[in-house]
Amino acid sequence: MSQDDEKWGIAHVHASFNNTVMTVTDLTGAETIAKSSGGTAVKQNRDEASPYAAMQMAESVAEEIKAAGITGLHVRVRGPGGNLQKSPGPGAQATIRALARSGIEIGRIEDVTPIPHDGSRAPKGKGGY
Amino acid sequence: MSERSVSRTKQEKRWYTVLAPEQFDREELGETPADEPEQVLDRTIETTLGDLTNNASENNTKLTFKITDVGSDSAYTEFKEHSLTRDYLRSLVRRGASKIEAYVTVLTTDDYRVQVQPVAFTTKKADASQEKAIRETMVEMVESAAEERTFEELIDGIVEGRLSSAIYGEAKTIYPLRRVEIQKATLEAHPEEVAEEEATSVDVDEEDVATDD
Repeated sequence: MSQDDEKWGIAHVHASFNNTVMTVTDLTGAETIAKSSGGTAVKQNRDEASPYAAMQMAESVAEEIKAAGITGLHVRVRGPGGNLQKSPGPGAQATIRALARSGIEIGRIEDVTPIPHDGSRAPKGKGGY
Repeated sequence: MSERSVSRTKQEKRWYTVLAPEQFDREELGETPADEPEQVLDRTIETTLGDLTNNASENNTKLTFKITDVGSDSAYTEFKEHSLTRDYLRSLVRRGASKIEAYVTVLTTDDYRVQVQPVAFTTKKADASQEKAIRETMVEMVESAAEERTFEELIDGIVEGRLSSAIYGEAKTIYPLRRVEIQKATLEAHPEEVAEEEATSVDVDEEDVATDD
């Protein structure tokens, strides 16, 4: 699968509506190579989940992993899951795009949102939305 | 601060090449870094069947391998789990049709304990009795397959889809089926562990078992 000059890693992207957290590990997931979250890119808390923050994060992470000698990434995106939203937030798509644009090869993209086999009751809706 | 620690750890850590078991032709799975060789043990690595066989059409199957042995710069693995990707499994589910699942724990001829989860999809809604019959057939087929095969042969049959097509051939007479897959197969215990369990287990008489009366 991999030649001598290319090294792969996994990008774990947790995209909720309040933040985006990304961690790049080796293929086993045991060793972290780089990590970043919304707060490293923007000042305002409410902007942490924004696509713009995700882009900034992805670019800085791309630099770091290139320095570590990794050329390609498999991506595992997840939303909050459980009894919350099952779909990833706004940062997920932007992260993948930004990674690809900064010259990282993107392998498999997989959704790993935790899905309950019937767990606890979902939180009640907030009024006014 | 972070820059310094990154450059320092990079020098100390060695990259180990992870190799697939013999059953999968000792294909290279990837690389993993570690300070000490012992740290590499028990790490798991996931690939798709398409990556192993260079066949992009088989990318719906994930295989997980666990590192059991470390050489100077390579790590050897054993099969741990086979599963279908979530998106593929979800794509099979249709409205107005039945999905029939079964969970079977079997012992192979060489005493490996494996949990196999076959799943069948019908063309239209099946009755409960038909679902039950299909489920029974699936369980029977998996059990008989395990009885006469070694661990490697069983996994081979599952990965290459021979077991699921055998179940399909057998169960389609009960109700028209659209597809049969093995959605998951997990290695639960090695022969040594099974033997140990048997050695330490005690026979309990029926009368001695406490009941809630």
